[in-house]
Amino acid sequence: MATEAADRIAARQRVEARRRQLEAPTTVRDDSEDEMIVSFPEFIFKEFIAAVAMTVFLVVVSIFLQAPLLGQANPGVTPNPSKAPWYFLGLQELLSRFPPLMAGVAFPTFVIVLMILVPFLDRNPSRRPSERKVAIILFALYMAIVVALVIIGTFFRGHEFIWDWGWVLGNPQNCGGAAC
Amino acid sequence: MKVIRGAVDEMWSIMGQMTSAVFRHGLPLTDKIAARTALTNFVLHIHPVRVRRSWIRMSYTLCLGGLSFFLFIVLTVTGLYLMFYYVPSINHAYQDMRDLQFVVTFGGLIRNMHRWAAHAMVITVWLHMARVFLTGSYKKPREFNWGVGTLLLLITLLLSFTGYLLPWDQLSIWAVTVGTNMAKYAPIAGPYTRYLMLGGHAVGDATLLRFYVMHVVGLPLVGFLLMVVHFWRVRKDGFSGGL
Repeated sequence: MATEAADRIAARQRVEARRRQLEAPTTVRDDSEDEMIVSFPEFIFKEFIAAVAMTVFLVVVSIFLQAPLLGQANPGVTPNPSKAPWYFLGLQELLSRFPPLMAGVAFPTFVIVLMILVPFLDRNPSRRPSERKVAIILFALYMAIVVALVIIGTFFRGHEFIWDWGWVLGNPQNCGGAAC
Repeated sequence: MKVIRGAVDEMWSIMGQMTSAVFRHGLPLTDKIAARTALTNFVLHIHPVRVRRSWIRMSYTLCLGGLSFFLFIVLTVTGLYLMFYYVPSINHAYQDMRDLQFVVTFGGLIRNMHRWAAHAMVITVWLHMARVFLTGSYKKPREFNWGVGTLLLLITLLLSFTGYLLPWDQLSIWAVTVGTNMAKYAPIAGPYTRYLMLGGHAVGDATLLRFYVMHVVGLPLVGFLLMVVHFWRVRKDGFSGGL
């Protein structure tokens, strides 16, 4: 019994020593960010914490927020407006403004192909943000447009998909078809 | 007394053997043991044995890729639970959803988790793409993996979209009607594509079965294979690391 306790204390001291050793500023390299470390347990511990945090977040959200379930599907009754899932609302917004062939087919295909080709179109070898201003501005613009279209489609499109300030005015009538 | 003492000692030794059969290495007290643990453990072997501190800095990766994969696992597990209670037929689907919400033990919680995890995954995959772009990590030699990632983003959207129909409520049927109507506008192939997706001219029983099969088997399988390639390439091309 006594030796077991002694072993446990010794083991704990070794763990403590190792922790101190890992936390000590390295003198081998001047930049500790550059230091090679063993991925187990540091890296794996980080992943584990992220997974636990996400699980807790999901469980808490799921306890308090009910997933929407409307009345049974009825092909005879079309809700107005009918909206696609939120991540497709940007597309639906484009469809309401441009000819369908362009907005529904040509444009998304173009974006997907462009995305895949990005590494071959970007001829700039640098990865420093300060040296790739054009790429970052273009990408930020693209993200801003997508987010803006999704927000417009979700909150500012009402009956007949016509522009509606209802959500802003505190009358969320325009959320008929969307998950909001 | 001695017999009991002997039996207890024997049991301890068997349990010790069982533990060391599963976990081949003790606590990672030295770098050598830690390295060997990562190398020989099935769950951990996906990680490199050594990493530069800057590669795994939380402010660099924001954990977005890992969280996307973790959400995929959460969705698989909660999805299995939902499959026990759900029949993909227009006569059963909606009633099964009501049962899941009000009758099945933890049914409501699991369904909520599945739903919110799906939304979260669309967001984390999207933000992961943004992070990779902003850090220029798609540049040589990672051009191919960026393409695989783009396909994974598409798979994520399609998984979410096919799942949208399954509750068979007014929200799902009309969202999918609007979504599949977009396909109609493609030249020549459009109407055929839409017919192929719906299994008819309108969203109905055939559509529900098709979306269900794609949602629980087809797309997860393709997604899984792409993920295997994606992770393998991350290892082979090297972590992109700090700027």
